[in-house]
Amino acid sequence: MENQSSSPFSIVIDFDTSHLFFPTLILWLLGLLGLAILIQKGPAFYRAVASGEKKLRFFEPDADKVRLFGTLGLMVVYFIGMDYVGRLFPNMGYGFWLVSIPFLFGLSCLYAHELDKRKLLYITLNALVAPTFAWFVLSELFNVTLP
Amino acid sequence: MEFLALVDISYLLLIFFGVALGIVFGAIPGMTATMALAVCLPLTYSFDLNHSLAFLLALYVGGISGGLVPAILLNIPGTPSSICTTFDGYPMARNGEGERALKIGVVSSLFGGLFSLAILYLFAPLLSDIAIKFSYIEKFLIIFFALTVIASLCQSMLVGIFSGVLGILLSLVGVYDTVKGGNGDIRLITPALEDMLYSGFSLLPVLIGLFGVGAILADAEQGVKEETEGAKLDLLSGRKFDLSAFRGSAVNLVRSSFIGTFVGMLPGVGGSAASVLAYTQEKNFSRDSSMMGKGAPQGVIASESANNGLTGGALIPLLSLGIPGDSTTAILIGAFTLQGVQVGPLFIGENVETWNMMVLSMFIANIVMFVVMFFAIKYIAKVVTVPKYLLYPIIIMMCVSGAYAINYGIMFDVWSLLLFGLFGYIGGKLGLEITPFIIGFILGSSAEIYFVKSLESFGTMTIFFTKSPIALFLWLLIGMSVAFSIYSNKRSKSKTA
Repeated sequence: MENQSSSPFSIVIDFDTSHLFFPTLILWLLGLLGLAILIQKGPAFYRAVASGEKKLRFFEPDADKVRLFGTLGLMVVYFIGMDYVGRLFPNMGYGFWLVSIPFLFGLSCLYAHELDKRKLLYITLNALVAPTFAWFVLSELFNVTLP
Repeated sequence: MEFLALVDISYLLLIFFGVALGIVFGAIPGMTATMALAVCLPLTYSFDLNHSLAFLLALYVGGISGGLVPAILLNIPGTPSSICTTFDGYPMARNGEGERALKIGVVSSLFGGLFSLAILYLFAPLLSDIAIKFSYIEKFLIIFFALTVIASLCQSMLVGIFSGVLGILLSLVGVYDTVKGGNGDIRLITPALEDMLYSGFSLLPVLIGLFGVGAILADAEQGVKEETEGAKLDLLSGRKFDLSAFRGSAVNLVRSSFIGTFVGMLPGVGGSAASVLAYTQEKNFSRDSSMMGKGAPQGVIASESANNGLTGGALIPLLSLGIPGDSTTAILIGAFTLQGVQVGPLFIGENVETWNMMVLSMFIANIVMFVVMFFAIKYIAKVVTVPKYLLYPIIIMMCVSGAYAINYGIMFDVWSLLLFGLFGYIGGKLGLEITPFIIGFILGSSAEIYFVKSLESFGTMTIFFTKSPIALFLWLLIGMSVAFSIYSNKRSKSKTA
């Protein structure tokens, strides 16, 4: 990739492979930094884990996995659904509008604590009004591209 | 003054709307000025540059200012930059002086905002004039310096640098652009992804994903607690607001505003550092600091004038060097990119009209912020009770519309949003530092061009040290930021020992 000439600091970069020069350098740097972090923090971390002071777990015991994975699941369904419906009505923004309504309703229900009739009413109104308003302002008033 | 001809009713309405919306975002705990800009950026797609910037700058001013509302009323900083406002603002609110504390904060915010604007107006053109003379070598060293400064303020400098370098790596994905002097070849992706990632990851989905979706995922894991419910807002039972609260605080106001502006100029440092620094300085230097932490107006004055001082300061490196001063101004780069305008040393000279309009927008936004917050504070205070279960879904919806529209309808950008939202959430749990990461991502491709072209031209690594006295001066600054990090790390270790 590069040739060393007389001085140890001299560098000649071959134009054909110049796209790899900086990324390779950065990858090496990342590797070295990762190693340095491991050396700096690794032993103390290992001791803390071995003594039981720290636990090797990603989630805290009181983590709300239902809301977390529910959010991720709803987002994936939202994106797929929006793309699918958007293809049925190209350049209209209907994919965004029509799929946002159930998405907002579902996510609000997921996030609300102690769901009652009053909350459900707010959630329903919000799910209907917010996407309609956003679609109208973005797509109709400002001609912003929507799925 | 020809630029004043561009001021029309839509311009003023956008500023008003931007400030009001920014205040709402800032006032809701967990939502930040950065998120406000990220979510609202798609609204600006159809605006011209001046209107777009007026709206976004108004959001910025409103977003930073709105953070004082929950800080005072709920003891929860609405934005990280209001952290120290809680120390005295909340005790004041508990004594029935909620409205007084809010109004002291609003007046201080106005002073800090206007002070930093004056500094911006005076110094950004001067710094640009100097920066125009910089070669690729000095430009590369400035980026290097920016990353070391940001990293030195992280909990661990090594992790901070690692995060910044990771950001640089991701910015290199895709084609080595011939327009920038590259050879047009693709790197760091498999052939299957070439179509989608030919130009790399778009900035906006990355930003919105990290700051919008990432924050919501983190809160989802915590259960999206409705902490504002049941909060009793006692605004008026205690002492009323009058200007005597500022008696003897002139030095505090000016010093804190200056600290905020200066901290804002340091790339990536952020408002919380400005707030903490100004608060501790007031505690150290005031004649009577015995009441600080128990409901002293001077604490609110220090914190709020400092965090609004940040707004003008953070724009100085952005407009004169092309380096964002904080994560919020990083999003402003997105607005410039959308309009095909490159920020850097030439920006002010080549876009005098836009520059003047930006300063005017900031000025009007500060005045509007003051009027809205001062006279409608009782109503704004109610914003803190808007439940997240209604807001978060709207934010995700707006994030999606922004990501999709950035490249005129590419679904991959929406998936990038989710990808970087997950990255922000998981990275945060693993200890990665998001601010250096994002600064690295924004500046990575420029860093590559400056570095590689310098080596292609001079053929030796020593040129980075020997090119000019400015280069040496920058190395000195880099050394100082590293030394500062080592020193502060040792000091905090000895304190905890």
